[in-house]
Amino acid sequence: MSGSGSLPGDLERTPIPATEEPVVQVAPTRPPLTPGEWVRRNLFSSWFNGVLTIVSGTLVLFFGFRLLRFVFVSADWSVLRANLRVYMVGRFPQEELWRVWAVAYFLAVLVGLSRGFLIPPHRTRRGSYLRVVLAVLALGALFYLVKSLLVWLLLAIAVALYAGGVAAGRRLGRRLVRPVLVAWLFAFPVVVLVLSLGDVGASRWGGMLLNVIVAVAVIALSFPLGILLALGRRSSLPAVSWFCVGFIELIRGVPLLTLLIFGRFVLILLVPPGLTFAQVVRAILMFTLFSSAYVAEIVRGGLQGVPEGQYEAAKALGLSTTRTMALVALPQALRSTIPPMIGHFISVFKDTSLLAALSFSDLLFTARRASQAFEFVGRQAEALLPAAFLFWVIAFSMSRWSQRVETRLGVGER
Amino acid sequence: MKTPDDEAVNTPADGEAMIVAEDVAKWFGHFQALKGISTTVRRGEVVVIVGPSGSGKSTFIRTINRLERHDRGRIVVDGIELTDDIRNIERIRSEIGMVFQSFNLFPHLTVVDNITLAPRNARRWPKPKAEQKAAQLLERVGIPEQARKYPAQLSGGQQQRVAIARALAMEPKIMLFDEPTSALDPEMIKEVLDVMKELAGSGMTMVVITHEIGFAKEAGDRVLFFDGGLIVEEAPPDVFFSDPKSERGKLFLSQIL
Amino acid sequence: MATAASTARPPLWRNVRFLRILGQAVFVLLLVIVIREAFLNLEFGVQEQNLDLSFDFLRQRAGFAIKEGIGYSPNESFLSAFLVGVVNTIRVALVGIVLATFLGLIMGVARLSSNWLVRRMAQVYVEIVRNTPVLVQIIFWYIAVILALPVIEGGLSLWDLAFVSNRGTAVAWFRLEDGAEAWGLFLAAGAVAGAIVLRRRTRLVERTGRSAPRVLWAVGAFLVVAALGFLLSGTPVAADVPEVGRFGYEGGLQVSPEYTALLLGLVIYTGAFIAEIVRGSIQAVPKGQKEAAEALGLTPRQQLRLVVLPQALRIAIPPLNSQYLNLTKNSSLALAIGYPEIVSVSNTIINQAARATQMLLLVMATYLLITLSISAVMNALNRAVTRKGRR
Repeated sequence: MSGSGSLPGDLERTPIPATEEPVVQVAPTRPPLTPGEWVRRNLFSSWFNGVLTIVSGTLVLFFGFRLLRFVFVSADWSVLRANLRVYMVGRFPQEELWRVWAVAYFLAVLVGLSRGFLIPPHRTRRGSYLRVVLAVLALGALFYLVKSLLVWLLLAIAVALYAGGVAAGRRLGRRLVRPVLVAWLFAFPVVVLVLSLGDVGASRWGGMLLNVIVAVAVIALSFPLGILLALGRRSSLPAVSWFCVGFIELIRGVPLLTLLIFGRFVLILLVPPGLTFAQVVRAILMFTLFSSAYVAEIVRGGLQGVPEGQYEAAKALGLSTTRTMALVALPQALRSTIPPMIGHFISVFKDTSLLAALSFSDLLFTARRASQAFEFVGRQAEALLPAAFLFWVIAFSMSRWSQRVETRLGVGER
Repeated sequence: MKTPDDEAVNTPADGEAMIVAEDVAKWFGHFQALKGISTTVRRGEVVVIVGPSGSGKSTFIRTINRLERHDRGRIVVDGIELTDDIRNIERIRSEIGMVFQSFNLFPHLTVVDNITLAPRNARRWPKPKAEQKAAQLLERVGIPEQARKYPAQLSGGQQQRVAIARALAMEPKIMLFDEPTSALDPEMIKEVLDVMKELAGSGMTMVVITHEIGFAKEAGDRVLFFDGGLIVEEAPPDVFFSDPKSERGKLFLSQIL
Repeated sequence: MATAASTARPPLWRNVRFLRILGQAVFVLLLVIVIREAFLNLEFGVQEQNLDLSFDFLRQRAGFAIKEGIGYSPNESFLSAFLVGVVNTIRVALVGIVLATFLGLIMGVARLSSNWLVRRMAQVYVEIVRNTPVLVQIIFWYIAVILALPVIEGGLSLWDLAFVSNRGTAVAWFRLEDGAEAWGLFLAAGAVAGAIVLRRRTRLVERTGRSAPRVLWAVGAFLVVAALGFLLSGTPVAADVPEVGRFGYEGGLQVSPEYTALLLGLVIYTGAFIAEIVRGSIQAVPKGQKEAAEALGLTPRQQLRLVVLPQALRIAIPPLNSQYLNLTKNSSLALAIGYPEIVSVSNTIINQAARATQMLLLVMATYLLITLSISAVMNALNRAVTRKGRR
């Protein structure tokens, strides 16, 4: 670096001896902001921001206060207390409710296990605080709503089973994937069976139970159907792929409600006369067709992500097309489709509320009808909000889980 | 170049035609990728194909195992003609193993599962037999300890060697290599070429597309120079690489040397 | 292409190409059989009900009233009733799309604000609204809000320009009087003038490199011509401010409570999704783009306007299309609250005339037409913004 007369003197740079080489500078770690600094930086960094903060702060406080006052003081939640059972299971005969509990326990274990090995534990301080607050609120609400000791006991068992499932899932990890997958596959027929045996038919399903059953049924049935459609769409046989494309685009272009109405009025005419099925079954069928079109698009996206070379290698090795799909392409495709797939399943769950538009006694319809009862006039919000809240809680939890599964999958499981 | 000693070790049916291509042509839309390729690859021969990109080298070897369908001409592999007959196609494919530039290992399976997938599913081998074969092959390519790992955990050179083992698991009579080392970092090229040389020395019929002149000279019997969809020149490696006869051959060599 | 000249013709049953054709033929045959079966069953079932599969019934007298329908009376035909439903759907869909886009834009930008409070509020909005079923929200707005409002005098009012009560909404609007057509011509002329000014200014900017506010000039030209025309054609537009009358609102643009609730529900719901799209597409623009723009010396506003937003827009168009389609399809949920759009009206028609099959075919075809139109517009938009470059 030192010039030897080739550079003018003032441009010469003195050589730096190696021992004095400066230490590599790492970005200095910032000390945590004091509350005052934090407020200043995040809320009042400019006069515009300051105005925004004041305006929105006022709004939040105003509406927040009114909301809290509504929930805890001025609202009359007796409509919910009186109708809790109908909200949850509709007109399911009381002496057969053990079936619902059995199914609930089964699902609690299954969901707990799945959550255990799919979702990493959430070990933040803020997360724990939130959890405690929510638990307290839930307990408080339950205290108000549930007066029967038996129900408390049954609920406690369900919670315990769920927590146990989560713990077991975390402990046993990947080994559980196969048995749990198989259990989920059987979940749907088992659940339906348990709930329809005896004197209870599908017509007695109501409330949240109906939403859950329909959601589970649709998810279970549309998943394989959607995969088939996606494969068909990619087929090299034009007749097959055009049919699949047409079918998918047709379904995606019409509202789900119209398909359900079709199921109610027209479907029965298309099958051989004399053959009939329950209204719920028709709804599930049409809903399944609807969902499978979306599943097909998601799977198609996943299959497009599988590099062409995979297919070539499999072909060169002599694997048949079916085997290639089953053993090479689909396993890879499905992994990348898990987040959008879960998002779609959440939508399916939310869309089960459409049953209310067709007068099926699901949670939403029950809530609406409760709000119209004579003794609860003027209490529409109290009747509807719990239903809305139940839908929201489940959908929100699933979406949170989906995000965490996504991050976990992204962190090189393989 | 093979020594006379090597040749003595070769299989008795030496000299028999394994791949026969007669006036093979292929179009992609209006573009003609192959304009009439004719050549014969004998058993135990190691044929090296070189040429600029777009000259049809890849297309040609892919027509041999029907990854591409030839539009004109005849291809006969080990006496079986390559037609639209499913049975012929399947039989031919079972005799040919292929190694790709981008390895194409199955990322969701372990190394062992990658190797045993085809024998177990296409040949119905029982698992123990397949795994034993896999162990042997991993030994042969030099990485027996990587058996339970996933491809993402291996280096490029190791992955390509697994790919070679995977192709060998189907016990092919012919091995096709489509630029096997082009995607590798330089320090890993040697380990793959060593495996290929060992393979060549053991008498495998090989068709190799590569730019590795060293390999061509050491293990190759014949060089086919492709350009513009035709075989422009054909000669033994040391002849071609030191004194190409064609203008285009000279041009090509001046660009890669 | 010449076929492979081979010495032996493979037997048909092993020929790869033949098998493909055979496979397709079998598939089509199966399809035809199933469809034919279904159709025969349909004919039989329909005859059992003493009905038919023709669309002639559409010309029959409807015999029912529609709460919100332009130029419709119960003496009109079923087809007219259906068309009223179509108009109502378009009314709520178009307005919904525009409003939801605005709301989504604001909320999406809010999600990225440097102000923590604003950010969190937007996040709460999105997380609550996205995870609640849209029908629940629509019904909530309808029965818990709109219907719960007191009658006219007691209702909400926004600076006396807009009123909401359980009788519906009335908003200050404009009224066209004589001379409106003349003004229309002036407006068209104004648009042309604006375009000319824009072109000339753009050329000026390109030639001299001076930065001139050319859009401002163009808009100014348009406004000048429009104002001139307004005066010259006798001020043909009057303000129509609603007043609280004895039996209802008088004047202004009035819509039913059902429309209000449906619009509220759809806009708030879809707005949350659009907010996420806006946020996602801005974040999806590679950071390097902003850095490069900054390095080139562009101000933050210029960076946003010239580099980030155009690219974000390109990314956003396909998912936006999806959301617009969803909003349109969700308008069918009006069935639950009695707003007479396509599905509602068709439901009534089915109750009256019982030709469910034909009606459903008509309904689905109409929705397909509408969704295809919206997609066509969005695709054209997509092409327009991607024409200038890749991505």
